Amino acid sequence: MSALKKILFSSIGKKYIMAISGFGLIGFLVTHVAGNLTLLSGNPDHINAYAAGLKTTLGPLFYPAEFALVGLFLLHIFLAIYINVVEKKAARPDRYRKPQKGKGGPSKFGIAGSNMIITGGLLGFFVVLHVWQIRLSSEFGSKYTTMLNGKEVADIYRYCVELFASPLTTAFYVGVMVFLGIHLRHGFWSAIQSLGAMKPEWSKAIYGLGLVIAIVLATAFLILPIYMHFDLASKLFAGSH
Amino acid sequence: MANKNFKLEVWRQDGPNAQGNFESFDIEINEHASFLEMLDHLNEQIMNEGGRPIEFDSDCREGICGSCGCVVNGAAHGPERETAVCQLHMRTFQNGETITIEPFRAKAFPIVRDLVVDREAFDRIQEKGGYVSVNTGPKPDANSIKIGKERSDEAFDAATCIGCGACVAACPNASASLFVGARLKHFGLMPQGAPERGRRTLRMVHQMDDEGFGPCSNIGECEAACPKGISISAIAHMKRDFLFANLGFHK
Amino acid sequence: MTFQSGIPDGPLKEKWDVFKAKMKLVSPANKKKKRIIVVGTGLAGASAAATLGELGYHVDAFTILDSPRRSHSIAAQGGINSTKNYPYDGDSVWRLFYDTIKGGDYRSREANTYRLAQLSANIIDQAVAQGVPFAREYGGELANRSFGGAQVSRTFYAKGQTGQQLLLGAYSALMRQVDAKKSGGDGIPGVTMYTRREMLDLVLVDGVAKGIIVRNLITGEIERYAGDAVLLCTGGYGRAYFLSTNAFNSNGTAAWRAHKRGAYFANPCYVQIHPTCIPASGDYQSKLTLMSESLRNDGRVWVPKSSEDAKAIQTGKKTAVDIKEADRDYYLERRYPSFGNLVPRDVASRNAKNMCDKNLGVNPTGRAVYLDFEREIKAQGYETIKDKYGNLFDMYKKIAGDDPYKTPMKIYPAVHYTMGGLWVDYSLMSNIPGLFVLGEANFSDHGANRLGASALMQGLADGYFVIPHTLGNYLATEKPEKVDTQHPAFQSAEDDTKEYFQSIMDVASKNKSNKEGRTVIDIYRELGHVMYNDVGVSRTKEGLEHALEKIPKIRESFWSDLKLPGETNTFSKYIEVAGRTADFLELAELMARDALEREESAGGHFREEYQTDEGEAKRVDEDFSYVAAWEWKGANEPHVLNKENLVFENVQLTQRSYK
Repeated sequence: MSALKKILFSSIGKKYIMAISGFGLIGFLVTHVAGNLTLLSGNPDHINAYAAGLKTTLGPLFYPAEFALVGLFLLHIFLAIYINVVEKKAARPDRYRKPQKGKGGPSKFGIAGSNMIITGGLLGFFVVLHVWQIRLSSEFGSKYTTMLNGKEVADIYRYCVELFASPLTTAFYVGVMVFLGIHLRHGFWSAIQSLGAMKPEWSKAIYGLGLVIAIVLATAFLILPIYMHFDLASKLFAGSH
Repeated sequence: MANKNFKLEVWRQDGPNAQGNFESFDIEINEHASFLEMLDHLNEQIMNEGGRPIEFDSDCREGICGSCGCVVNGAAHGPERETAVCQLHMRTFQNGETITIEPFRAKAFPIVRDLVVDREAFDRIQEKGGYVSVNTGPKPDANSIKIGKERSDEAFDAATCIGCGACVAACPNASASLFVGARLKHFGLMPQGAPERGRRTLRMVHQMDDEGFGPCSNIGECEAACPKGISISAIAHMKRDFLFANLGFHK
Repeated sequence: MTFQSGIPDGPLKEKWDVFKAKMKLVSPANKKKKRIIVVGTGLAGASAAATLGELGYHVDAFTILDSPRRSHSIAAQGGINSTKNYPYDGDSVWRLFYDTIKGGDYRSREANTYRLAQLSANIIDQAVAQGVPFAREYGGELANRSFGGAQVSRTFYAKGQTGQQLLLGAYSALMRQVDAKKSGGDGIPGVTMYTRREMLDLVLVDGVAKGIIVRNLITGEIERYAGDAVLLCTGGYGRAYFLSTNAFNSNGTAAWRAHKRGAYFANPCYVQIHPTCIPASGDYQSKLTLMSESLRNDGRVWVPKSSEDAKAIQTGKKTAVDIKEADRDYYLERRYPSFGNLVPRDVASRNAKNMCDKNLGVNPTGRAVYLDFEREIKAQGYETIKDKYGNLFDMYKKIAGDDPYKTPMKIYPAVHYTMGGLWVDYSLMSNIPGLFVLGEANFSDHGANRLGASALMQGLADGYFVIPHTLGNYLATEKPEKVDTQHPAFQSAEDDTKEYFQSIMDVASKNKSNKEGRTVIDIYRELGHVMYNDVGVSRTKEGLEHALEKIPKIRESFWSDLKLPGETNTFSKYIEVAGRTADFLELAELMARDALEREESAGGHFREEYQTDEGEAKRVDEDFSYVAAWEWKGANEPHVLNKENLVFENVQLTQRSYK
């Protein structure tokens, strides 16, 4: 036990946890976006079935899974704050009077690498808001329901249609997804490096892969608000329903 | 052989607990002078006027002893890559430019005076296992241990660390990961270091934390600031070995 | 005081074995009761301190720097010689011994030099066992190269950073002993490290070395340390020239203060001027940078044949590439067909100076020659040359601003190493019992000229393999009485130190607002000019007499015009430098005096009056085959010369010839 404590309380160990929880969250994002993309068909049943399916497939594991997901988020956020606010400040209590400048070259000193706590903070704020809206608020449970295969399920489709009717909300969601991209741009690479899974010859490739993942995930997420706002489904699939 | 003029903003601090502040100086110097020669020249000016010269550390002035180091215009050792500040030359700067000079700042590097900082934390980390435990005395013939050229060269690249502390100074978190990683990678790659690999990793990493260095955020500014260009793959090596060592490998 | 070389009996090859067979040992229980002071933590000091800690002594190690890892041994580039004979090209202990003693122009002791050659193989084994990453071949074996005029490939190296890697090896062994001591507690042997401490005096009790007085460079406090023996490993005094390849903090103070307490100073005039350094470019220059001699393996030294071409280059009208092959004078290849560019350092340096004296120099100051890689880059390929010298080329480019892959380097000789130093016997003990001197700080193994890649060898041989035996023998034989820092001798030495220090500060405070006052660097630089011109690459009676007239005047100026910052209780670099300059102002005079008295040319000491018809150094063996051991008689008294005659039973003294 003390060995585990020693790992976890070391500066490196905390970064292991950041990395692993980060990977977990990327995994969550992938499943989340896969669900989102079912909206693109324009058929309300697809997304509604996916959402309902989550609960029935996981069965009794649904709440533990949800609980674990929340834990993952909290762990990631708590450690991020601890590392970035407490430890970082403690390591340099007397700040540089002139701003530090990156030297370029191998350095990842830049918007993504230097602002993880800010992009992460924004994402955290968004997640709380997002979860409140569709999971916790009583309005959602009572107002948006529909029948699917003879059962009453949540009508996520209609919710999205109404949500993204507002240009402000759409812009907000798109903006958040850009921050997600920036966060992942450093996050993926950083997680691999934190776990020590880096070899010099892989470094460029992994940093590049991080960019690809960031772009793909952010794009996949931000497609949805735009798609719904402009009602692209009816334009693309006009006549098929 | 042109002379250039510069305006300097230099951090002055009488002692570890004193209040510091910037002091401005004007200087004219040959562009082929090194940065530290420029400071020497400035000190001559100051002393001729009866003032207190700027204290800074330097020794070999050829980029190998690691004594020198300050933050020039926001970058550890100044704007040039793979260059210690003693090897930085004034031709790098524009005539008329304002140059700000600050000490390396980190909790683990307390300021001694002006630009001089105390980096003994590095020695204390080294003490915790930055060695192969062999006594002096008869040893097997040097060629009885064969080490492939690539492996040996990679170990050398890590071992070339000069211990200047620029990695700590440049890191937004004041982390010493590159310094410690370089030590661990050098000894970790050499077969001579294998028997103590786990113990060394654990002790040195814990000492690093105890000294009050910050966490590593994988930004890599340390590599960019390192006068020897040591790659952050050394940090990956440390993190890997730390995990394995905790899991009981590398015993 | 004793003045016996203490060379053991028996044939040359067996002398060290004889010594070890006869020496007395200190029992483990007694070692724990012994405290050893090691001053300086370069190769010699770190290796000695580490080894003595391992053996069970309590060691107190001191460095003026903030970490032992920064000692100037770290800057050695080229390599370390060893008689391993891995390339199977005919090397042997005898051959390394012979090359070294001949290279030193027969001005070193046979027995010391032979022991050095014998121990050279152990050093490589030791360093490899410590994990020093020497250069290797693809098959995994150690790589060797020929270096500095050797006709065999006996030099081990780690790119151009051999000194760094060997020092870090010794430093890591040292830190292991620091750890042993710290984690073991008070009674446990090992090393206690004292950084940023400068030794200012040696404490003698009844003529025996018992401790040191140091200044804490952070607080300015004067501190006392007592021990059963004192080891000086404080390097050379090349900074007497102000401009040299030595580090900013390298100095002669510890050795000089020991000298003033009675230790003989031997052969101070033997100074090595290294041929391949980056030339000085202006008055602001603070130091010169060495480019490893290994560059001469593949680089070709030349100047234009005509002074018109040279003038055109000096004024920037032409560059190296404008000079046709036929108009170039590869003067080392021309004059020394069998050694070519690989002649020993003193010969290469002198030739460069001669060429520049003939107005053939190739930089604006007229004091530089070319070192050209064009032919070898073509022959061996860019990658091979880059692999061998990449970091040196980068370093050159950084400092000089030119790219050596495209244009030849410009080089010029600079002061680099001092073969002279405190006199020691075969046990490395000075004439003061209990005071041992190791590495560059002693005079012992290199004679009048040191061959390339042998300084690292000597520092480590002394520290790892000689001193552990000879120190033990001293302790067991002499059974020195234990004293502590409360002994009146410490009080009196501390008082002397404080008084001397205060006398410097008094001059400074007198000049506080004196417009005519001079900074210490100004005075120091003037000394350097005199030394370089009159006691430099080549020397004459007139020049040396000029120096002897000039140096006391500079010293007077120091003691009347010096300006310094006034705070003594805090970190103050220029106060440190002032104390060192005061010592150099005395030591420099002795160097000139020694050079004047030595009416012959030998190795690094070239007297223009004594040269062969071909302009080579001419020794006068019948009169000067001795070690000049100078004795301090007091501030206003002239030094007294003691001679240790050198006896050669195994080698024939020949005129060096590298034709």
